[in-house]
Amino acid sequence: MVMGVDIDAGPPPCGETAVRALDLCKQIDGRPVLRDVSIDIPEGRFVAVLGANGAGKSTLLKVLATLVRPTSGELEIFGRRVRGDAGPLRARIGLIGHQSMLYRELSARANLVFFGRLYGVPQPAERAMHLLEMVGLSDRADDAVKTFSRGMMQRAAIARALVHEPDLLLADEPFAGLDPPSVLALEALLLALHEAGKTIILAHHDVDQSLRMAQQAIVLRQGEVVVDRCTRLLDSTTAIREMVTA
Amino acid sequence: MTTVLRQVALLTMKDLRIEARGRQTISLVAVLGTLIIAVLGLGLGPEGRVGGAGATAILWVAYLFGGVLSFEKTMAVEREEAAMAALLLAPVDRGVIYLGKLIGNLALMLALAAVITPVAVLLFGFDLSAAPLAFAAVMVISMIGFAAVGTLFAAAVASTRLQGGLLALLVFPVSLPLVVASTQVLVSVFRDGEPLGGLGLAVLVAFDAVFLVTSWLVFECILEP
Repeated sequence: MVMGVDIDAGPPPCGETAVRALDLCKQIDGRPVLRDVSIDIPEGRFVAVLGANGAGKSTLLKVLATLVRPTSGELEIFGRRVRGDAGPLRARIGLIGHQSMLYRELSARANLVFFGRLYGVPQPAERAMHLLEMVGLSDRADDAVKTFSRGMMQRAAIARALVHEPDLLLADEPFAGLDPPSVLALEALLLALHEAGKTIILAHHDVDQSLRMAQQAIVLRQGEVVVDRCTRLLDSTTAIREMVTA
Repeated sequence: MTTVLRQVALLTMKDLRIEARGRQTISLVAVLGTLIIAVLGLGLGPEGRVGGAGATAILWVAYLFGGVLSFEKTMAVEREEAAMAALLLAPVDRGVIYLGKLIGNLALMLALAAVITPVAVLLFGFDLSAAPLAFAAVMVISMIGFAAVGTLFAAAVASTRLQGGLLALLVFPVSLPLVVASTQVLVSVFRDGEPLGGLGLAVLVAFDAVFLVTSWLVFECILEP
C-alpha cells in the first residue's frame, strides 16, 4: 500500500508492449525527478499520467519520447531497448508538449510540410493540408504561426505531432489554452486515434476527464509511481483526486 | 548518404526560409558590421589606406561581432516555442542537425561578407586588387571554421540559462588561431607577393577539419540532457 492505494501488479497485457520501463530514474541538477519508475503499457492502450505540479509527469513523457536520457534504469519502446541511437524508434513516437515546437516565422503549412519531409512522409503537402483541416486551421494554413492565438497554436502543435502518423502519442497537457469546443474536439480526436489502435499516454491535471478517457491510470508523486491500475478497477476517484491536488 | 544530404538540405533551407521571411538577422548583422568598419576606418583618418593584411584584420573584427550576433539569432529561432525539441524528436542524426545549422550560418556569414567587404573597399580604399581571389579563398576557408565553432557554442549556450555575452566569450578566444592564421596568409600574399599556401593555410584547413569532426561528434551530448 502506498498513500492508501495499492499498486496493481500491472494491467493485463492485451497485445505487444508499447512501453516497458524498469526502475527509471532521472536526476536534474542533482535533484531526483523520477524515482524507480517501472511501468508496462500494452500497445493500443490509453493511459492517463496524473500527479500534482512537479510530480514528474512532463519529465516521464520526455524520457519516453527519447528526448531526455534517464539517469538509470531500462526503457523499451515497442520491444526495442532505447539506447544510443533511438532514430528508428522516434519515427513511431509523437509528442505534444507545453510549447508548440513550431517555427513562429513559418506558416502552419510550411511547418507541417517541413516536419513531414524530415520524417520521410510521402506526399507531405497533402498530409499537411489533411491535418490542418482536421484541426480546423485550413483557412489559416498560410499564415505565420506567430500570428496565431494560443489555442490555434496548440491545434497546429497537435497537427505537427501527428504528421508522421505515430503509433505512440505522448500528450503533455494538450488541452492547455484551448477553448471548450476545441477541448471537446481534441478529446474526440484522441479517442478516435485510440480507436484506430494508437497507444496514447496523456499527462493531464483534470482527473475526471483523464479517467473518463483512459483505460489505465498512473499516478506520480514526487517522481514515484504510487498508483498504476486499470481505470475500470478503480473503486473511487476520490483518493486519486486527493493525491493529484495534494 | 542520400538521406543525410536530403535532411541537411531540408534543415538548411528551413533556416534560410525563416531568414528570408523576416530578414532580421542579415539586416542586423550587416548594419553592425558596417558600423564597425566605419568606426575603425575613422581611426585611420581621411588619408587612411590599408593593404590586404590590414583589411583582413579590420574585416575580421566586423565578421567576429556580426557572426556571434548571427549565431545567437539563428539559435534563438530554435529556442522559441521549443522548436529544437521537435527536431530532436525526429529520426534525424544529431550531426545532421549540426550540419544543417552550420551551413545556414555559413550562408549568413558569406552574405555578411558580401555586404561589408565592398563597403570597406569603397569607403576606406582597402586595396585587395593584388590578389582578390586569394583573399576570397582565405576568408571562405576561415569562415567555415568560424561558423563551425560558432554553431557548436551557440547550441551549447542556448541550452544554459547563461546567454548574453557568453557566446562571444567562448567563440572569440577559440577563433583566435583562425584570425591569426588568415591574417598571416594574407600578409604573405599581399605584402610579400607569395602564392597562396604554406603553413598558415594548413593551419586554417586543419582548424576547419578538427572543429567540423569534433562538433559532429559532440553535438548530441550538447543537445540532450
